[in-house]
Amino acid sequence: MTVRMGFVIITSRCIDCDACMVACRAENDVPIGKTRNWVKSSGVQGEFPKVKEVFQPGNCMHCDHPPCVSVCPTGASQKRPDGIVIVETSKCIGCKYCLTACPYDARFANPETGKADKCTFCLQRLEQGLKPACVQTCLGKSRQAGDLNDPESVVAKLLAKYPSRQLLTYVGTGPNIYYIDDVVPEIPEGN
Amino acid sequence: MSKVYTWDQLFSRRQFIKGAAAGAALGVSAGLGFLAPDNMFAVEHSALKTAANESSELQKVTTICEQCVWRCGVIAKVDNGIVKKLEGNPDHPNNVGKLCPRGNAGIETLYSPDRIKFPLIRAGARGSGLWRRASWDEALTYTADQMKKIKDKYGAKAMMFNSTDNLSQPFFEILLKAYGSPNYGTQRSLCFNAMTTGFLYTYGVPQPGTDYKNCKYMIFAGRNLAEGISNNETQEMIEMIARGTKVVVLDPRFSKTASKATEWLPIRPGTDSAFFLAIINIIIKEKLFKKDFITTYTQGFDDLVQEVKDYTPKWAEQKCEIPAATIERIAREFAAAAPAAIAHPNWRTSNFKNSFQTERAIAVLNALIGNWAQPGGLIPDQEINTAKLGVLSHPPFPQAQGIRLDGVPWQYPLVPLSYGVIQTMRDNILSGKPYEAKGWLISRQNPILSIPERQKTINAFMKLDFVAVIDIQASDTAYYADVILPESSYLERYDGLIPIGSKIFIRQPVIEPLYDTKSSLMIYKELADKLGLGDFLPYKDERDLLAKQLKPFSITLDELEKAGHYVVPNFKKDHSKDFEFQTSSGKIEISSSIMAQMGKKAVPAWDEPPRPPKDHYYLLTGKTAQHTQMFTQNNRWLLEVFSENRAWLHTSVAAKLGIKTDDDVVLESDVGKVTIKAKVTEGIRPDCIFMVGGFGHVSKGLKSAYKLGASDSALHKTITDPLSGSSALSETFVTVSKA
Amino acid sequence: MEITWGILIVIYLFTAGVSAGAMITSNLALLLGGNDFERVSRWGAFISPFPISLGLGVLLLDLGSPFNFYRLFMTLQVRSPMSYGSWAILLFTLLSVVYLYLWLPQKFQIIGETKSLEQWKKRLAKVIPFLSVGVASYTGLLLNAAARPLWTAPLLPVLFLVSALSTGAATVILFSALSPWQRARHRELQLLTKADALLIVLECFILLVMIVMGRLSSLSIAEAYGSMIYGQFAMIFWFLIVGLGLIVPFSLEYLELKEKISVRWTLPVTIGSSFLVLFGGFFVRYIITFAGQWSRWF
Repeated sequence: MTVRMGFVIITSRCIDCDACMVACRAENDVPIGKTRNWVKSSGVQGEFPKVKEVFQPGNCMHCDHPPCVSVCPTGASQKRPDGIVIVETSKCIGCKYCLTACPYDARFANPETGKADKCTFCLQRLEQGLKPACVQTCLGKSRQAGDLNDPESVVAKLLAKYPSRQLLTYVGTGPNIYYIDDVVPEIPEGN
Repeated sequence: MSKVYTWDQLFSRRQFIKGAAAGAALGVSAGLGFLAPDNMFAVEHSALKTAANESSELQKVTTICEQCVWRCGVIAKVDNGIVKKLEGNPDHPNNVGKLCPRGNAGIETLYSPDRIKFPLIRAGARGSGLWRRASWDEALTYTADQMKKIKDKYGAKAMMFNSTDNLSQPFFEILLKAYGSPNYGTQRSLCFNAMTTGFLYTYGVPQPGTDYKNCKYMIFAGRNLAEGISNNETQEMIEMIARGTKVVVLDPRFSKTASKATEWLPIRPGTDSAFFLAIINIIIKEKLFKKDFITTYTQGFDDLVQEVKDYTPKWAEQKCEIPAATIERIAREFAAAAPAAIAHPNWRTSNFKNSFQTERAIAVLNALIGNWAQPGGLIPDQEINTAKLGVLSHPPFPQAQGIRLDGVPWQYPLVPLSYGVIQTMRDNILSGKPYEAKGWLISRQNPILSIPERQKTINAFMKLDFVAVIDIQASDTAYYADVILPESSYLERYDGLIPIGSKIFIRQPVIEPLYDTKSSLMIYKELADKLGLGDFLPYKDERDLLAKQLKPFSITLDELEKAGHYVVPNFKKDHSKDFEFQTSSGKIEISSSIMAQMGKKAVPAWDEPPRPPKDHYYLLTGKTAQHTQMFTQNNRWLLEVFSENRAWLHTSVAAKLGIKTDDDVVLESDVGKVTIKAKVTEGIRPDCIFMVGGFGHVSKGLKSAYKLGASDSALHKTITDPLSGSSALSETFVTVSKA
Repeated sequence: MEITWGILIVIYLFTAGVSAGAMITSNLALLLGGNDFERVSRWGAFISPFPISLGLGVLLLDLGSPFNFYRLFMTLQVRSPMSYGSWAILLFTLLSVVYLYLWLPQKFQIIGETKSLEQWKKRLAKVIPFLSVGVASYTGLLLNAAARPLWTAPLLPVLFLVSALSTGAATVILFSALSPWQRARHRELQLLTKADALLIVLECFILLVMIVMGRLSSLSIAEAYGSMIYGQFAMIFWFLIVGLGLIVPFSLEYLELKEKISVRWTLPVTIGSSFLVLFGGFFVRYIITFAGQWSRWF
């Protein structure tokens, strides 16, 4: 089976500490003022004292049908065979079409290079057998990443066991971040 | 006379951008560009390597974080002398491989353009921001001369020393003892003195651990682990919640911990002891306590039974505004889970004059269910089970002359000498009673922003003859100093070794110092030399000291540096002393002998806290996960994830005043007034205003943080719990208005 | 999201439309009107290369990596409207320059024989309209392809096409009415004005259909159109587009066509109405660009 890299994010384990955002900045030299990933909050919902708040980390969804790739006029935006969506910066002209095309607003124009910039799944780390920086540092083990098609991967095992949801599926992007809202007592061992 | 600099000239950004770090920063992102999808990893790696300046094996150096005081293990990835990435050390028990946002942002602390790059001596009026560059020799000689002058003229006691919770603190303490001053200030009284004294006088242990792993029922009443991150404990809390442990959070504000908890109880500020006394009432009334444990290990149970008789849940509901039925239910659930249940000792429960009583009630509640040294309960002191480092012998310290300025113990008999009461020290600098203070040596502390009533603290600084500050950046306190001795950042220096259990960890430089800075170890040492006290710190350099600390173990410093830590072989845990309580009675003191001696009520009792007058609100302060006290607000990476503090207002209050989120509001207390952005939320009691502390810096040397947000210390009144010495921060009430 | 496509892109979208519209006006005037409409045809030909060149210029300025511009023309990405659109615009711009040359007075036509040039003029006029329609509507497809709620409307290319024709015609009216040289005749202007008025009606209709369809669509799309009709973009929509850009110029043109305007006022009214059409056309691009980026899925 082909490799299909993706994320599983367990929202019940996120405390919105934003370590993932800082770790990504360090790992990928993301310029100040921009970010490749995020933690969104539902805001405090309900009425005092019956309130709740949910945190939802995110980054590029490495979609099955990425609009950012199809709109790219130069072929700089690409979906790799392993599913990771990247920007080949030498081809990028900085038209920002992909930025407007991403329904998750996962891309930004890098002010230092003028080119489109986004989550690369920390390719440089994958190559060394490491997890992406955001996953590595996550205090709550909320962020998980791996090959969704490999039944021995942590992400596949989690998806097999818990119900999950994706964001904006009706837009037709086929996002590869799966959110688990249920309580997950134990993170399975796996690739 | 050399050139006089302003802050702007000293810390021009250009200087930094030209530096190596920025060039390297461009490397990786450019490198990634050459990626082609067909040749997957290979191309990309070589591109990366080329971009990062051909040579390089990425070097990994193990060290210890200092973005807060938790001391997490760090593995630094260093590429050609540039720190590229910090990651958690999986072998370190304090963080088991993870770093929090602050730990991840250590690189920005290191490469901050606002670092102090060489010693500075004040060249204008104090606080004018005019400085001249000095050599280390000149700066240290100047500092030593001033300190000698003060000692000769007014006695050693006229010189104050200040430092808290860092790895080189023991050596700072040696310096001050060798100098002979009794005046040692820490930030403890602004933090959790009530907790440490409360537990000290109950169990003989200031801060017992908590076994999250096996705990089945947890009550937090001032420990916000999701925002006051203590890395491994925060991780354990998340696991605990994921496992389904019942977690009850008492907090007037809907903190992130509360959002994760099973149950949030928005308690009226200052009334936590009513809640806990009522829990005790139910546990006693319904005989849910552990009788054997109480008989064997405690004293004063009968007095407690008498005292809590009237503290019924109904009574408590009037005080703390948590329904009586809820209190009863929690009491029963808590007792049912015993001994795997914990009423957490907490940190920030020390906010009222009655907080010592609150902490005593919490300590006693734990004793009633007998969770001491049980799985899922409180963990006895770890001191005995910690490897012992080699010590340096030095001459006997001179007798400290005179009483302490901060009233310990003559005004605050219960407060340990090593904690002190810094707000009283400040007040007595101003009053000149019982004697005039003349000089202050401050290492890595920022009293101007931390002590309540900032203006008073500034006035106290202006009154002194001499102020020297050791810091890595121009903190607000450094801004008002006469001499700044720039410390190397934690990624550029050694500190004393850290034993944790059977392991010994090292903080070591991961790169050479970027600037003309020194480690505190060497600053203290060289200052001691100039003061003629060199014998008290008998080491040549840091490595010499560390080698001496390592002497008892069969490992060399070189080996330790390479390995990052050392496991003492055959280290056996000793649990034989778990039930030897270091109290006057040798038992867990439900009834405190010391309190009885002082003629005070010896069992935990209710002490009515003040309430805000009409149109006033409780001012609450607390932490955020993205910043450490007043230390990280100038870290631009952290400002990216938490840009400034805001005043939380309940929706109903905001509606009444016509305030929307992001509007400027004015908060005014008896002692000060600040303008701050509003955050309107349902997640706070309508009678409270909350703000994250540590913002509102006054130092122009902190370019990014200067004037960002507002300072809580500008609003806080100086109110001290006479028992614990704790600063009763939440007894400050404020009015709110639209700016 | 933050607005990544700003005013420069609006100018680009607008000028591409003006050029295409002016070109079509010229082509049709030549093919259908012959000598009677020579002045209008000539003005259309003279105008059309310039707005789009300006547009391409500002587009270049908007690029983060302008020196990489050539990369656009080293590939054809069939799924990317910007890719095939760039080729279309390149071709259009080149042809519009050739077409302009063919309309130059004889003394400037250094290359070619007058007669064959005349033939080429006709031939080109038959071909270019297809390309022009492509250029005018491609900007709509461009936005269609970016998955944003406001931009999903299938009528967007049609709206841009109609707006292009309207603004193109208005530009020709403006120039040929103002020019001291080769000034258009009353009959030419009358017909163009009539066409323009019809286009305005058509544009209103398309906008109405888009809004109704949008409001009846999913929550995100309904919200996106809401931002135009009562949200943060409502002032621009109702005042600048519907009022000043559509109703006022239509009314003026209507009065002109009904000959309710005294001769003394004809010229200022003609100028005024065509200017307002351009003004409205610009803000149509503006509102679609900005409100589109502001709109999000939820």
